[in-house]
Amino acid sequence: MILDLHSHSTVSDDGRAKVENYCQWIKRKEIPIDGFVLTEHRLYDDASDYRSLEDQFGLLILKASEVETEYGHVLVFGVTQELQAAFNFSQINLSLATVLEESERCGGIAVPCHPGRPRVGMCAHIGTRGEVEGVRTIETLNGGSRGNENEQAASLAARKGYARIGGSDSHIVSHIGRCATRLHAEVRDMNELVASLKEGGCEAVKLEDRAWIPES
Amino acid sequence: MTILQYQDLEFGDELPEVTPDVSMPTIRRFGEASGMTYWRFTDHEKARAAGLPGAIVPGIMSQGILVALIHRWAPSATVHKIDTIFRAPLDVDSQPVCRGVVTDMNDETKTIEIDLTICNETGETRVLGTAVVELP
Repeated sequence: MILDLHSHSTVSDDGRAKVENYCQWIKRKEIPIDGFVLTEHRLYDDASDYRSLEDQFGLLILKASEVETEYGHVLVFGVTQELQAAFNFSQINLSLATVLEESERCGGIAVPCHPGRPRVGMCAHIGTRGEVEGVRTIETLNGGSRGNENEQAASLAARKGYARIGGSDSHIVSHIGRCATRLHAEVRDMNELVASLKEGGCEAVKLEDRAWIPES
Repeated sequence: MTILQYQDLEFGDELPEVTPDVSMPTIRRFGEASGMTYWRFTDHEKARAAGLPGAIVPGIMSQGILVALIHRWAPSATVHKIDTIFRAPLDVDSQPVCRGVVTDMNDETKTIEIDLTICNETGETRVLGTAVVELP
């Protein structure tokens, strides 16, 4: 099963894509993907309900968050009311340790994203702030990466034995599905996605010529 | 291929790619015309000394290039809005590629949304954005 685990809609301050247009794009361009996760910046989108789009387009559409810590940006899957009360999603200087711990405590999982990116990625901060305990998965394929950012992330994952995910980090419609995650188990909702990620049953893949290939 | 009317369009249609001229002489001419004569746009050496990879293309020039991409494709189009996000500097004397694709259509207002990107030679997206465009 293939899901794009990192995307933004107009709910994010820098997102320009309507969710319906993501669905139309996936079908029109025949992107071989089963769904995507909306990881809105610094918030959890309680209000939006995408069930009718899921039915109309035959796609799984899940909701998560991308929060900001002293080690860079972090995707949080399995956001609950309890987790939203545990720390302030809108803050830009959250403690990564807190995000990791609270996510686990509340039944979710926190995944540092684009770790190879300057300033907002984890690699740049390990040298000055030290290694991080509690990380089990990182994003090693990000569709918005430049230069060797994805390679740095892959090296970190190899060194630390982290599981790997991929996501397009799309902010405009036509960027959805550039990278994604192959999940070894069938996933029908966020609980099953979190369980799959916690088991490490995932790998990062990128789309080339309408086929998913593993990271090199 | 040019587009004349809304009815000629389909969701997912791609605009013809454009490779804009962002050579230093062109940047300097643009700078003189627009008042953007700062060294970070017109002098590689000073830009590098300041920590940039070299002189960079002014953001308003990138926006102009993207609007030109739209009008080259649809000469009668009215661009109601262009919204750009500058992800990384676009280098002067590079050979970027500009692309656009139709990602939303409103049959009632005959307006469309276009995803816009400017990528460098290695395919990295340097500038991205959207435009809202009305067609006859």
